[in-house]
Amino acid sequence: MTEFIQATAFGLLIGGVYALFASGLTLIFGVMKVINIAHGALLILGAFLAFTLWEQLGIDPLASIVITTPAMFVLGWLIYRTMIGPLRSAPLSSTVLLTFGLALVCEAVMGLAWGNNSRSARPSYFDQSFDLSGIVLPKAQVYASIVAVLVLALLWLFLNRTWTGRAIRAASANVQGAALVGVNIAKVSALTFAVGIATVGAAGSMVSVLYPFLPGSHYIWIARVLSIIVLGGLGSLQGAVIGAMLLGLAEVYTQTYISTAWATAVPYVLIFLVLFFRPQGLMGTRLREDVAV
Amino acid sequence: MTGALERTGLDRRLWRGLIAVAALLLVTYPLFFDDLFYQNMIILSLILAIGAVGLNIIMGYAGYISLGQSAFIGLGAYTVGIASTRIGGDPFVWIPLAGVIAALFAALLGVIAMRTRGFAFVIITIAALFILQIVAINWDSLTQGTSGITVPLPTWDISIQNWPFYYTLIALLGASLLLSWWIRRTKIGTGLLAIREDEDKAATVGIDTPVYKIIGFMASAVFLGMAGGVYGYYIAFIDPIAMFDIVISVQIILAVILGGRGTLWGPVLGAATIEPLNELANQEFGGGNSRLLIFGGLLVLTILLLPKGIIPSVRDFLERRAKRGRAALVGGRLGERRALDGKPATATGGTGQNLLEVRGLHKHFEGVRALDGCSFAVEAGTITGLIGPNGSGKTTAFNLIGGTMGADAGEVWFDGERIDRLPPWRRAYAGLGRTFQITRVFTDMTVLENVVAPLRSFSWRQLRAGAVSGEEAARADDLLAFAGMAEYRDERAEALSFGQRKLVELAQVLMLDPKLILLDEPAGGINPTLIARIADMIRELNARGKTFLIVEHNMPLVLGLCDPVLVLASGECICAGAPDEIQRDPQVLDAYLGADFKLEEPVGAP
Repeated sequence: MTEFIQATAFGLLIGGVYALFASGLTLIFGVMKVINIAHGALLILGAFLAFTLWEQLGIDPLASIVITTPAMFVLGWLIYRTMIGPLRSAPLSSTVLLTFGLALVCEAVMGLAWGNNSRSARPSYFDQSFDLSGIVLPKAQVYASIVAVLVLALLWLFLNRTWTGRAIRAASANVQGAALVGVNIAKVSALTFAVGIATVGAAGSMVSVLYPFLPGSHYIWIARVLSIIVLGGLGSLQGAVIGAMLLGLAEVYTQTYISTAWATAVPYVLIFLVLFFRPQGLMGTRLREDVAV
Repeated sequence: MTGALERTGLDRRLWRGLIAVAALLLVTYPLFFDDLFYQNMIILSLILAIGAVGLNIIMGYAGYISLGQSAFIGLGAYTVGIASTRIGGDPFVWIPLAGVIAALFAALLGVIAMRTRGFAFVIITIAALFILQIVAINWDSLTQGTSGITVPLPTWDISIQNWPFYYTLIALLGASLLLSWWIRRTKIGTGLLAIREDEDKAATVGIDTPVYKIIGFMASAVFLGMAGGVYGYYIAFIDPIAMFDIVISVQIILAVILGGRGTLWGPVLGAATIEPLNELANQEFGGGNSRLLIFGGLLVLTILLLPKGIIPSVRDFLERRAKRGRAALVGGRLGERRALDGKPATATGGTGQNLLEVRGLHKHFEGVRALDGCSFAVEAGTITGLIGPNGSGKTTAFNLIGGTMGADAGEVWFDGERIDRLPPWRRAYAGLGRTFQITRVFTDMTVLENVVAPLRSFSWRQLRAGAVSGEEAARADDLLAFAGMAEYRDERAEALSFGQRKLVELAQVLMLDPKLILLDEPAGGINPTLIARIADMIRELNARGKTFLIVEHNMPLVLGLCDPVLVLASGECICAGAPDEIQRDPQVLDAYLGADFKLEEPVGAP
């Protein structure tokens, strides 16, 4: 029983970080119908930034989100202006391939800059744990999840309590309608993309403490984010959170009760199962390109 | 694609000559040159070309992107490696098995993806590649995990170098090209193109979309699986990382896009361009990161700067130059319409039999009740009108009857059969045809290809039939003449006006020879002359026994053409009757005009 509670608590903590990571992707998809395959690579880039800040300047990797987030915001804005924006009217397939190419470029650049060795930031609390009557929770994991939930809450407030956030949600619900009532779609898209990538920067800071990473790690992260959106449906923050929790739990249960080696297969297996048995996703949001009627 | 292009005889001879020379050089190369570096480069180019020609079938023709094509290389290599080391025999013996396994795996993925659209397929293919890699790493007892399988070296005489690999791959490339060419000119090819252009629409004209997609994906995998088998034997060492390499997937995709997706030779051209770059990256820059940088960057640049690829861009350029100064046919006047041949037209009127019955249909979009217990019937032989205010559920009713959407509750009966659980193509086979409010023709096909695309039944034999058989072409010509569009038969549908597309779409639906035709706003957005023409066509077809259900806002047209008229309001059928009854019905006035509307008092009344 303790083992089960331990696994569940751990799965939910991981799910919090996954939710932050997936929120950016689903936000971007909502407004511009772009599936950003480079999401995982940008996450690892954020992790490398946090790692370097910790290694060179001794900045705590979780505190470094105040630097990684704005840095990735700027990068996201640049990527939108130079690549995604010009393809705005192109079919979904073009942006999938474009961001896939971008992911590879990003992986290569990280490999050239930081080398292809496994890294991990190790602040003082790195190997400490909270012990709650037999249930052991690593401190880094707990702190990271708290920060993730805080950032998600800020994102939610931004989307629901500010005019800019409302413009983003309006564009997400109906691009043409939003344009008609005066939302500047090009600006909102650029902003959304930048915000989406900024959240990845924050998530990257957390990943730098939680997992050893190298440039090639982005594939497993893209698998995770894809399985989260398959589980939770595309385009809504709630869906991303639910999908992330489910994936976190599924991974930890597999690790605990089956084998660590096969835990990496969990996101893929979930993708197959969900798409075959419930192609509309667990939450009922259809994962498909709807053709205008 | 080829149909739309009228190359001059000289161009075509030049093109064929070029291909013949290239093929001859390729085949004779090892006989005259023994440089193993270039032989190796050609061998790898051939594998890439086989992959690209295959991928083009599912990506170029059907529009579905697979990021996981290298999974088939790995599967093929492991099949050959495992079979030849465990069971024995020359590895070449096992190559056909590699193809079979790859095709079966593609079919499995196709079945998983069957009910999904668009992006889900990308996810499935990428997941398939990585999960195979994980299996190859973890299933030690079969695959020897990360330590890999060492395949025994070839035993043939060293003087023939790598010829067996070389010529096997040339044969496989030839076979891939033949398959691609053959698919493009059969019904499978038309079906795949239709899916690329508009999958929902394709289903409503009788194309069994899952079967087509699965066949297309299997075709894209089979020869790549075999090539993977050859590859594994060639490099003699099979390990999970090199065999399930996503960068090879990227190279295959890049070859297709760079050369030109949807063309026969583009993928080969692309592969021949990319493999030398791969060698350069490996030799000069040490592979690894620079290989990623080159191919990732090239993918980004190609999508941004040359999205159509080399061959289509060049062809467009030549075509534009050839057409300069020539007046286009499109935009000209409508052609003369001709009555249909066959039995004389006699008015039939209603027959008393219900051809279509809708019982208690419900469809909710979150809070919006588009249809809320809607029931009505369409009598065989009638032209039934379906009117109602905007948002009353008319188009939703059409979508549920045609099968483009599923109902939440309720039944649809057609010709004595319950059809609400059937996919759209089965409903088309049963005799149901529909047009769309915003016309949906396959814009990248010619008018003739559009009209012959519909299928009246499914059979495996039919898949092999030529895309446009003589008999079909004759029938399509008749229907185009009937619609007054005969002169446009070889134009691309993209170039047609909205009204012309409506006529083509109607001819297309008639190709199904349906019993009931659902028309969604046939008079919407077109000029009065054309409205009159369409009304004439409807009357003539009705006189020959076709039943119609027409959604329309043009009241004079509805009142003059339809009898009976059904009225929808708030998702329910509130009234049915002859046009003049409908006009006076207080419920109908209420639905259209609101409860507080009063008819104007006649001027001068006391």
